[in-house]
Amino acid sequence: MEKSIKLLPRCNAILDKKLAGRKTGVFITAVVSLINIILSLPFFAWINVVNIPTLFPKLNITKDMATKLFQSYSIFNLLSFVQESNQGTIGLYAMILLVIMAAALYFNAAYLVKVVFNLKGSKGNLSLYATGRTAMFFEVILSLATFGYVIFSNGKFGMRGFQASPIVYIVTVLSLLSYLAVKIMEAEERKIYKEHGILKEVRKNWVLFVMLIPTFIYFMINNYLPMIGVYYAFTNFNFRDGLWASPFIGFKNFEFLIKADLFRLTRNTILYNLVFIGLGNILQIIFAILVSQVTVKWFKKTTQTLMFMPYFVSFVILKVLVYNIFEYQYGLINNIVTSMGGDRIDFYNTPSYWPVLITLFYLWKNIGYGMVVYLATIMGIDSEYYEAARVDGANIFQQIWYITLPLVKPTFIILLLYALGSIMKGQFELFYQMIGNNGVLYNITDIFDTYVYRITMTQPLSIGLGTAAGLYQSLFGFIIVVLVNFLVKRKNPEYALF
Amino acid sequence: MKIKKATSTIIFEIITYGLLAIGSLVCVFPFIIILSGSFTDNVTILTEGYSILPRNFTLSAYETIFRAPKDILQAYKMTLYYTVVGTAIGLIMITLTGYVISRREFKYRNQVSFLIYFTSIFGGGMIPWYLMYANVLNLKGSTFAIWFPALMSPFLIILMRTFIVGSVPEAITESAKIDGAGHFTIFAKIVMPVLGPGLATVGLFLALGYWNDWYRSSMFSTNSETWELQFYLYDLLNATTALKQMSQGTSISTAQLPTESVKLAMAVVATGPVLLLYPFVQKYFVSGITVGAVKG
Repeated sequence: MEKSIKLLPRCNAILDKKLAGRKTGVFITAVVSLINIILSLPFFAWINVVNIPTLFPKLNITKDMATKLFQSYSIFNLLSFVQESNQGTIGLYAMILLVIMAAALYFNAAYLVKVVFNLKGSKGNLSLYATGRTAMFFEVILSLATFGYVIFSNGKFGMRGFQASPIVYIVTVLSLLSYLAVKIMEAEERKIYKEHGILKEVRKNWVLFVMLIPTFIYFMINNYLPMIGVYYAFTNFNFRDGLWASPFIGFKNFEFLIKADLFRLTRNTILYNLVFIGLGNILQIIFAILVSQVTVKWFKKTTQTLMFMPYFVSFVILKVLVYNIFEYQYGLINNIVTSMGGDRIDFYNTPSYWPVLITLFYLWKNIGYGMVVYLATIMGIDSEYYEAARVDGANIFQQIWYITLPLVKPTFIILLLYALGSIMKGQFELFYQMIGNNGVLYNITDIFDTYVYRITMTQPLSIGLGTAAGLYQSLFGFIIVVLVNFLVKRKNPEYALF
Repeated sequence: MKIKKATSTIIFEIITYGLLAIGSLVCVFPFIIILSGSFTDNVTILTEGYSILPRNFTLSAYETIFRAPKDILQAYKMTLYYTVVGTAIGLIMITLTGYVISRREFKYRNQVSFLIYFTSIFGGGMIPWYLMYANVLNLKGSTFAIWFPALMSPFLIILMRTFIVGSVPEAITESAKIDGAGHFTIFAKIVMPVLGPGLATVGLFLALGYWNDWYRSSMFSTNSETWELQFYLYDLLNATTALKQMSQGTSISTAQLPTESVKLAMAVVATGPVLLLYPFVQKYFVSGITVGAVKG
């Protein structure tokens, strides 16, 4: 970068010229941002469809379908072409373009806002330039990807059927120049704050980067690359076309889910989690207080150990337990009931028992785990508080009510917020091992995770539907986390998750 | 001066000891049922049902298992393999990552932490994840697909970072750097030696996860030779339930199926190691949960 500054002294001088107290370059690039945003609006065509008379027969587009197609498309309605012309093969690419465009729009808008309101970070204009640089970067990537899309689909159909419109050329050139301009201004600013870019950081701390390589590979394979697969949520999978070429159907899967299972799954997932969080925390606090009050050492240790034990067994063992206790013929409970002269209870065919049973076994497995956290908090309370209270004549109940509980409250609130953040995540192993494939109980015990798991294992044709359910769960959960975090941050920034 | 216990204190103590005793009993009770069932004669279970103490004490269930131990030994072997390989590799990767994001001089530590944390609040869902391994990487049936996905988790990485920050003062690494030590030297000679409790805690969380897993076998195994122990048990339970339902009213013999007491004995054999080790390693889990709850 430093060389280019020397090579372009005049350019630098223009960018540096002050205008209304700020650099001209900032205003120029902000105008480019604005142009980028405007050109991204749906009225501007980025891709033209040409040679229609030869193209359409080649794609098996009937006259009926052709009436719904246009001659030019913006990135936004590119997917409608994919859908109406039944060309799944170019659907994923169109979706990726849309995502890049969303990112570009977001950063361009952020840059504009920062310029207009003159927002500054702790290191002067560095964060402003970083935003501008990112915006221009995405814009360049977007336009290059658009060219790529044209080349890709032309190659796919073996003819010149698509053409990038002049707008794409304009955006490419403008964004590339602005990117360089921001880079030049940033280099100046970095000198002031003794900051450096990523290349210098890699050179300086290359060992640390090497250490991160396995982790990078892991998270790419396990978490980030699968995110591309949310595309399946918008397709109607069939074996002939395969995963990526199955017809694109827009939001039809979601519409179907709303009509069929969405409400039930959301209700079950959230209600169970609310009960788990509420009852779980209350019981954990109660038992933590009780354990903390025990003075006999072996009793304290033994109870703690025993109550923590269920956490260590697998859910398959839990299934064995549940089955042996509630089984119709030989189950422990039915054994006791019949020996007292009652009628056998058919647990496995009566849905109404299961919410209670699932909650009980959740508590059984998790009381000890949560108790540990509360116990640590209680043990951390200064014993002088209790001594002072005793001198004042407070009995043990008053001590707990006025000292222990108020001091446990912050921990309680943190744990509660963490738990609320993951309220859309079901206890998959618990539910699956307790209920399994017992369809009689689904209505009241099915959560997102079990629903999606069943589709994955047994109904490959519903992959689109399952992915849609998973995506809805993920997005809903994500929004809740962000909301919870926002509220926590306003109240007490120290507890914020990010 | 002799302090007389107040009545309220006595009442409270009775409640405390009473409730804790009940709570502990409820927690162990299911284990007792399994254990006693595994020592009970199968016919007794079928006629009289389960009980708290074994009636007609017998070791026949265990004899049945160990007379033809091929399958369960294979499952044991595979689970040990997954646990050892997964825990070792995972521990190395988690420690390296924890070290990097605890370094002040690393400019992108916050961005890296966020990218790791982000995976716990948003994801593509189960199906894209499954298809990534099964179709894109074509790993269905391999053992790799069973241990790889559980190598790391954001919780464990952040836990490890907390341990590293807590046990290695910045001043020591700084002075080592002035003496010309590189990152690998600092990591191997200064951080690792004092990280014992952190390594034990994170390692035990990983190992417990591998030992108790059944889910990845259910998704990726194509051959019962690669099954995890818990999935072997799960499959056994399901197969017998299904066959029992099918054979009702027909003439299919259920004599060849594992009996109730054999299933319980299997459960004991599968959980045994965990519960035997548990009292000795409990403190590491306690420290992990306490440290992790502060920020995790």
